[in-house]
Parts: sequence; C-alpha cells; structure tokens
Amino acid sequence: MLTWLILLPVAAALVVMAVPRSRSEVHLPLGIALSTLPLALAGYLFYVFEPVAGYQLTEFHQWYEPWGIAWNLGVDGISMPLVVLTTILVPIALAASTGITERRREFVFSTLLLEAGMIGVFLSLDLFLFFVFFEAILVPMYFIIGIWGSERRVYAAMKFFIYTAFGSALMLAGIIALASTHASQFGEVSFALADLMRVDLGTGAERWLFAAFALAFAIKVPLFPLHTWLPDAHTEAPTAGSVLLAGVLLKLGTYGLLRFNLALFPETSVDAVWIMGILAVTGIIYGAVVAIVQPDLKKLVAYSSVSHLGFIVLGTFALTSGGLQGAVIQNVNHGLTTGALFLLVGMIYERRHTKQISEFGGLQKVMPIYAGFFLFMIFASIGLPGLNGFVGEFLVLIGSFATLPSLAVVAAGGVILAAIYLLWAYERVFTGVPDKAENKALADLSVREISLLAPLAALVLVLGLYPAVLLDKIAPSTESILDHIEANSDYRVPEPGRLGDVFVAGDR
Amino acid sequence: MIPTPDISWISILPEVVLALGAVAVLLVEVQWKPEARVIGTVATSSIVFAGAFSVLQWAEASDAVAFGQTGDLVVFSGMIVMDGLAVFGRFALLATTALGLMAGWRYLESLGRRAAEAIALVLLATAGFSIMISSNNLVMLFLGLEVGSISLYVLAGMSRERARSDEAAMKYFLLGSFASALFIYGVALLYAGTGQFEILAISAFLRSNVVLTPAVLLIGVGLVIVGLGFKVSAAPFHSWAPDVYQGAPAGVVGYMAAMAKIAGFVAIARILLTGLETMGGQWRPLLGGIAALSMVVGSTLALVQDDVRRMLAYSGVAHAGFIMTGVVGNSTRGVLFYLAVYGIQLVGSFAVVAAVSGAGNTESTLDSYRGLSRRSPALAASFAILLLGMAGLPVTAGFVAKFGVFAEAWVAGYEWLVIVAVLASVIAFAFYLRIIVMMYMAESDEPELVVPAMVKLVLAAAVITTILWGVLPGSLLDLATDALPL
Repeated sequence: MLTWLILLPVAAALVVMAVPRSRSEVHLPLGIALSTLPLALAGYLFYVFEPVAGYQLTEFHQWYEPWGIAWNLGVDGISMPLVVLTTILVPIALAASTGITERRREFVFSTLLLEAGMIGVFLSLDLFLFFVFFEAILVPMYFIIGIWGSERRVYAAMKFFIYTAFGSALMLAGIIALASTHASQFGEVSFALADLMRVDLGTGAERWLFAAFALAFAIKVPLFPLHTWLPDAHTEAPTAGSVLLAGVLLKLGTYGLLRFNLALFPETSVDAVWIMGILAVTGIIYGAVVAIVQPDLKKLVAYSSVSHLGFIVLGTFALTSGGLQGAVIQNVNHGLTTGALFLLVGMIYERRHTKQISEFGGLQKVMPIYAGFFLFMIFASIGLPGLNGFVGEFLVLIGSFATLPSLAVVAAGGVILAAIYLLWAYERVFTGVPDKAENKALADLSVREISLLAPLAALVLVLGLYPAVLLDKIAPSTESILDHIEANSDYRVPEPGRLGDVFVAGDR
Repeated sequence: MIPTPDISWISILPEVVLALGAVAVLLVEVQWKPEARVIGTVATSSIVFAGAFSVLQWAEASDAVAFGQTGDLVVFSGMIVMDGLAVFGRFALLATTALGLMAGWRYLESLGRRAAEAIALVLLATAGFSIMISSNNLVMLFLGLEVGSISLYVLAGMSRERARSDEAAMKYFLLGSFASALFIYGVALLYAGTGQFEILAISAFLRSNVVLTPAVLLIGVGLVIVGLGFKVSAAPFHSWAPDVYQGAPAGVVGYMAAMAKIAGFVAIARILLTGLETMGGQWRPLLGGIAALSMVVGSTLALVQDDVRRMLAYSGVAHAGFIMTGVVGNSTRGVLFYLAVYGIQLVGSFAVVAAVSGAGNTESTLDSYRGLSRRSPALAASFAILLLGMAGLPVTAGFVAKFGVFAEAWVAGYEWLVIVAVLASVIAFAFYLRIIVMMYMAESDEPELVVPAMVKLVLAAAVITTILWGVLPGSLLDLATDALPL
C-alpha cells in the first residue's frame, strides 16, 4: 500500500503527460482528479493506522543487494500525519493554479512528481532511498519556481536549489560514513535506518555526523541563519509552489531532525539541545521581527514561516513528550494555516497583481468572505485557543519549559510578536474604508475559491477542538523516540517533562 | 613438421574486424563512390561484429575465471590480456562509437566525399583504443594509445576550412604528442626500475622484491600518471580540452571526448590497480591530489563559461576527477560503471550540441540555447535529463555512478577526497542548471528546430539508459562487478 502511495502520483503524472499538449484545458482538471487518488489512499492509511509505537505497513524489497540498499518503506506516528497533509495539499495547490496558462501540462506533471517525492521522503526507512527522494524533489520544485514564478524567479530557483543541494551533499557524505562504519562493525552493508541506529560511532564521529545531517535539515527548515533562500523562493514561486513549499517541503527539514538526528545520534542530540534551541528561538524572534516590517504580504507570510518553524525545532530538541508531540502536530498545523495563508495571498494577487500591503485597505467592506477566511487563518497562526495553532504551540512551550525554561520564556514572546505582525497586517489590509478605486471593485471569493479554503479551515477547527484525533496516533511514536534516547544516553526526561501526559493522550 | 603455436585469435578479433572495417570503408569509397549511407552500413556492420566477438570473449573470460584458468587469458606472449576489464571497456567503446557515428551522421554526410575518411578514422581510433585497454604490455598499450590518439587529432581538424578546427587539431596534436612522450618515458623508467614491460609481471616483481632505490620507479609512475592524466583531461593537464571541444566538429566531439576518457581510465585502472597496486601508498596521494584539483578546477571554471562546449569540456575535467576518486578508492566496478554511464551521456549531450549548432556547427554559445524548450521540447527535455544525469541527481545513473565511487573512496580512507567531491558536485549543479535555465526559463523567437532522426535515436538511447541504470543500477553494476582485471 505504501508503494502505491508513491507510485500513484508518478502514474498520474505520466497520464497527464500522455495527454497531447494541444488539449491544454484537460491537463489541470485531470491532474486534480488524479491527485485525489493518493488522497483517498492516505485517508485509508489514516483510518487503518494503529496508535502503537514502531513502523507499520512496512515493505521491503532488495534494490541492489551488494550495496545493501533496499526499497524499504514504513510509516509511524511521525510520518503518517505528514503523508496525509501532503496528499491534502496537492489537490488544493493544483486547484488553485487556474491562473497558470503557460505549459500547464508540464506544471501538473512537475507537481505530481513533487508529490511522489515528498511522500517517498516520509516513507523511506532506508537512508539511501531517503536521500534519493530528498534530493530528487529539488528538480520539480526548481522548475515550478523557475518557470512559473514571478520576475526574479530564476535567481530564486537557483538559490533554492544550490542551498539545499549544498546541505544534502554533506549529508550524503554522512550517510556513506555511517554505512561504512556499520559495515566494519557488523560485517554487512546496510543503509536501513534500523541497522544504522545500532552503530557505535564514538563521540567525535557522532558529533561530525550530527552536524552534517543537522546542516542539511537546518537549511531545509530553514533554521536561522540559513534561512535566506526561503523569502526569495516563497515570493517568486507561484501560489501552488508556495503552498507546497511551506506546507510540505519545509517539513522535510523538521521531519529529518526528528527522524534521523534524534534516532541516529542520541548522545549528540542531548548535548546539542542548547545550540539547536538557541538557533530555534533566534529564528522565532528574528522571523517575527522581520515579518513585522515587511511591506510585501507574501514575504510577511514567508518570514512568519521562519518564526513558526522555530517552534517546531525548539519542541524537537526539548526532548520531552510535550515538545515532541507539539513538534509533530505543529508540522501539520503550519502546513494547514500557512498553506491557506499563501492561497489567500495568491487569490488577492490574482485580482490586484500586487502583494504590497500599502496598496490595500478596507478590503473587509468589499470582500467580507475573504476577510473572514483571512482572519480565521491568522488566528489559527497566532495560536488562538480552539484553533489548531494553539495546541501545537502550547505543547511545544510546555514541553520545552521542562528542559529549556529560559528559551521557552523567550519563545513565548514570539507568540506575542506573531499577534503583532499578523494583526497589524490585517488592520492595514482589511480595516478602514477602501480608499483606492481598484480596491472598491474587487470581487469576493468565488465558490471555487471557497471550496479550496473550506477543507483547510475545517481541519484547522477539528485539530483545534479535538487534537486527540491526531495526538493519539502520534504519541506512541514520539514516546518511543524518547525511550530510544534514554536507552542510548545518560539523559532522562525530567519529571515535569511528563506534565505533557496530563494534557495529551499516550501513556508512558 | 614444425608445430604451430596455439594462437588465441578470438582475443584480437574485435580489433581486427574494426581495422578491416576501416580499410573496407576506404576501398568501397574508392571503388564505387557510393552514398554515405552505404559507407555507414559497412562501418556499422564492423562495429556489430566487433561487439559480437566481444560477447564471445566475455563468455570465454567468465569461463576461465570460473574454472580458475585465468592464465589462459594472457595471450600473444603476454601482449594481450582478455579479462573482464578489457571486454567491459570494449563494450563501452563500441557503444560510444555506434552512438557517436549516429550523432554525428549529419556532419559526416555534409563532408561529402570526405565522409569515408572520417568514418575510417573513427573505426581506426576505436580499434586503437580497444587494443590499448586490452594490452598487458606497456609498449603495446602505448601503440594502441597512439593509433587512437592520432586518429583523433586528424578528426579534430576535419573541418579544415574553419580556423577554429585547425587550431583545435594543432593544439591537440602538440600537447597530445608531448603527453605521449611523457608516458613512454614513464614506461621506460618503469622498465628501468623493474626490468619488465608486462603489467602482470611488474605486479609480480613488485610483490616479491623490495625496491631499495625507488626513485626511478617513482618518477616512472609519476610520468605515466601525467601522460594518461592528459588523455583524460584531468587538471592541471586539461588546458587543451576546452579549445579542442570548442573547435572540433560538433558531430564528432562527443565521440572523441568519450573515447579518450574511457580508454584512458581503463588503462589507468589497469596499470595502477593491477600493476602497481603494491605501490598504492605512493601513487594514491598523488592521484588523490590530481582528482581533487580536477574536481575543483573543472567545476569552478565551468561556471564562468559562456559556451556550452567549453562548459562541457570543463565539466569533463571535473568528471575526470570524480572517476579518479574511484581509482583512488580501488574500485574497478565504480570506475567502469561511471565510464559507461558518462560516455553515453557525453555522446548524447554533444548530439544535442550538434543539433542546436546546425550543419554549419558554428554556434554553441549559451545564448543559442535560449528557449530551446519551445523550439524543440523533446530535445530540451532529453538534454535536461542528460545534464541532470551528469550532475549526479538521484534517479539518474549519474547519481549511482557518483555514489559508487564516493562510497569506495570513503571506505579506502580518503574521506577528505569524498568531501571535496560532494562539494564540487554542488558547484557542478550550478553550471548544469545554467543551461537548463536558458532552455526553460528564457524565451526565444527562433523557429522550431528540426532534429535529425539519428540524433533522436541517440538521445532516446542515452535518456533510457540514464534513467534505467539510475532506477535499476543492478542491471549494469552486476556486469561491472564481474569485469575484474586479472
């Protein structure tokens, strides 16, 4: 079944490619229709997923035995939500791309290949396979930004590609080093995550390898100070590209930190909590402060991503139940709310062909539905209780307070800053009277646009009101990460760290 | 009656067939002055026969290995060795030759009556390089190298009405002869140091003797590396490559470049990994340094080129470094896989260059690729896949090739070289992407580009193998694993 999750989008992409170029009206609807197949399959995955620790639905096929590489797939509570998120966002991103008229077939093709790659990253349990997907997704994303982006698209696409390729190149060296150490210790070549977790690296090597992996993922997240590619990529990418970039691609970084850094290098992870935590908190504050002064709405949302992803990294390296659960669920939350915010920015851009905040004002009067959705998503992003962002940020803060109290206090300030930049932006764009002539004639959201936003809004509400629907499935996996770290280092999750258990499901 | 010695004809039949093919091409031309197509058929059949005989050789070599009679594979009084390395290398050479002739077909046709000369030279070059990779004797190896190289010098100057082509041929010839001289001097010093010309005998000598004054031997090894390093255009011996790649006729550049790389590296692997393995401690650091320098110089200089052919030349310098990383890592398998993959990608890429340059084959500036995805979507897509393949992106064979040599070099203890290599690959991404940017992200008013059917075939083959060996590397890696030198 997991193989099909990867192959279905590939097959869909090939089907779209088989439709002649001249039938340009067919490609997009066909792509949207076909992309619901992986969505349905992911829905089924969510349904059959058992809330237990360890990998489920695993599949194993030798790929090239002498090298010990294998088509090794599996899903657990950390990857499952991200797979579902991916399959939700892709049809929405495609459906939001009616504005793309040039080379539609290639656009749908790239997006579907991107989907296959992203799902592949989340499902791989073999480091070689993981790297293949991790690196391969650069190409479709590069084309999406570079061909269908706005004016400085080539620069942004190149920057995106080179930054991430640089990080992953060192990770490749790290993977080779890990596998060769494993081969010399166990006498057999293997790239399986489960095998490599048993390798005894010694402190020096473990630190270097941690750094190599962390660098690759930190660029992807992006963690301050490696974030400079992100605003460019986001501003230049087409709406669908931004949605997928923020919604899923950035999660490859946070996912990688959770899945690989914590599991492969438990001792160094424990030693590195302060470094990673400080970087995360710097990102939270820096992203928020820079977001405040952005004159461009899309850039503002982009910098808010830097800030929000800082929370996820902070939660990850808090190494407590609450922190890890918060990090995982915040992955999903950020994908939903920021994805929706990029959709909203894209919708206003299609109408006015500008993203400058100063060009707007009083839109509340002319576009009430639009304003409603915008405010709703802003509240979710700020973390208003009852909406999903609150659950994630609260868990992260409470989880990190147990181990990194001073950082948690500073990070809490980020929540306030988020309220400032988002509400201030809302005020400038939506409140008051519309004074510009172009703004007075703007049409409110169409049924199509509402149908894009409604599912996201519904999920925001569901996860806000009843997070247990997801947390129940996450908790066993995050607990097993903590068990693994405790078993392989002197670290013990401090007593208050289990405070998280009072609030969320999952017994230790 | 005098007993005739038992001669293993099969071991040289491919080269004999190729040489006869070259002669036949010339005779047919003189006698009948036929259309180019007829000459092409003659050439193709000699390549096909050479390939068929190579298959027989492969079977014989595997049998000999299976029955432990590897001594039978050293034939012609120790001159020729018919091992897996030679046969695999010959497959790569023949495939490149066939694809190269197809890719350059439009150019060859445009030569008119001189087409036969060019085709004969191609066959002779292949025969020479083919002998070179199956030589056990260093003098024999040198002869093969010269037959191949001299044919290539002439091919480079084939478009003699173009000053660039003349310049390329002259440069290639002068620097190439100089390198050959260094190589043969190195061979002489190796002989002075060991008393042997045969690679296997040198290996045996070094294994059983301690060389007390190794200076002569070391200089010999160094000169051999320099000479062959020139042929494969490794830095700092690469300065001829950009001019030759730019000046030589686009139709045959891909073939020339791939040939020199494949034959040069198989020879390097044979001499260093078989003959001089015991001296690894001495030549590995030197080769590692050359590899690192090639990767860095090739990648960075490729970044600033505005001509696609020069860019591919510098990328070839970088690739020489990557392949050398495999030699340093003691990985015949990795080197052979890399060579096969890169050779085919190179021929495919230059097929695109030739198609874009047109029959006049003048323009190959980066600017002439502007908007290629509109002018010919299939051509642009194939070129993009080949470029990403050469860049070593996953899902292409280029990634598997790079991964193979990196992993082996790491295990061999050359961690620093692998780190240089991965960083150089990132720089390499940048210039490959520059071409893709031009093709896909720039617009052009030029009319649609008509791609010759032959070029389409070459590109189909190159793209299919690039993806196939990227997704199912075992299909080629198993062969490369069996292709061990004696």
